[in-house]
Amino acid sequence: MLQLLKLLLPALIPSWNFFDEIAASPRIEYAVLSSPDDVGDWREFRPRPSRVALFAMIGRVFWNARWNETLFVVSCAERLLAEPTAHSQSEIFHRIAREIPDNDAWLRFRISLVGERDGALVREMAFISEARRVP
Amino acid sequence: MTFDAALRLTEILLALAFIQQSLEHLRAPRGEQLLFLVRIALCLAVIAGIGAPWPLLGLALLSLFVLQRFQGPYNGGSDRMGLLALWCVTLAHVLPPGKARELAFGYLGAQLVLSYLIAGWVKLRNPQWRNGQALRQVFAFSTYPVSESLRGWAARPNILLAASWAVILFELFFPLALVSAPTLMAGLALAAAFHFANACLFGLNRFFWTWIAVYPAIIWLQDRLF
Repeated sequence: MLQLLKLLLPALIPSWNFFDEIAASPRIEYAVLSSPDDVGDWREFRPRPSRVALFAMIGRVFWNARWNETLFVVSCAERLLAEPTAHSQSEIFHRIAREIPDNDAWLRFRISLVGERDGALVREMAFISEARRVP
Repeated sequence: MTFDAALRLTEILLALAFIQQSLEHLRAPRGEQLLFLVRIALCLAVIAGIGAPWPLLGLALLSLFVLQRFQGPYNGGSDRMGLLALWCVTLAHVLPPGKARELAFGYLGAQLVLSYLIAGWVKLRNPQWRNGQALRQVFAFSTYPVSESLRGWAARPNILLAASWAVILFELFFPLALVSAPTLMAGLALAAAFHFANACLFGLNRFFWTWIAVYPAIIWLQDRLF
């Protein structure tokens, strides 16, 4: 009950400090493995398209399921880096796994942080998960 | 706008926004689907005006299960505003008639104003927002731009500096729109355009629908106070 109250209170007494500072941003990559010890090739989870047509942008005001889920996965990555929990890890894992057709495989994901240092973009590895079997 | 009309319009717009969000969850795994199917049913009851205030109470209760399911809001600030609106509207129905109900609904209207004012204030205090660097970073490396081509905007510092100040000044001075009904309408139209742009450029469509749902609360509050 106390935990629920902790989740609800920031909504009832909001801070509204949107975009007060632009922190380094998580990027999620995953590797499909044939066994837990396999290395595999890293692929970006849902890379953004090079272009989105204006008509499609307007359409997404009405239907944006995939993008909103991607934002949720990113917020799970931020939570995982701030305070590791099984929930965040499991959400990221399951949402990546749903996109993998091969269900006789193992999966590992990693999170890197992209930010800026001395005016140049830098990318630093922040987390690598254990390998799990794709359910 | 009367209290009853504003409250009814807010709950209908909020229910529509929740239905739009909930439909997006119907391709999710079964447990998640079920939560949002129930939410759609309760929203339809709210829109139809069936059994009030029980569907709203059901939605408020269900919101706790949704929070538990995702260990927080699914989509950050927009879901938090949705929760705030839901709980305020529910309280405005179940509290004793009179001042208490007005206070609950007025709190929602006041929070809408604060959502712009505080967001503007924290940006004004940040030198990176004042010199346009923060908005440049949003385009350069944040999660939000919906396409790689939009990242190219990071190379347009003069435009982003102007856009940063436009956002800061709009958010900071939004409360002045409360001086009269016409200025408030103009302020809300500008705010809706701002949310629409954010929905297109950054994919933040939930902000657009949720904030619009709360507009009747501020329209009523302005009429009540001025």
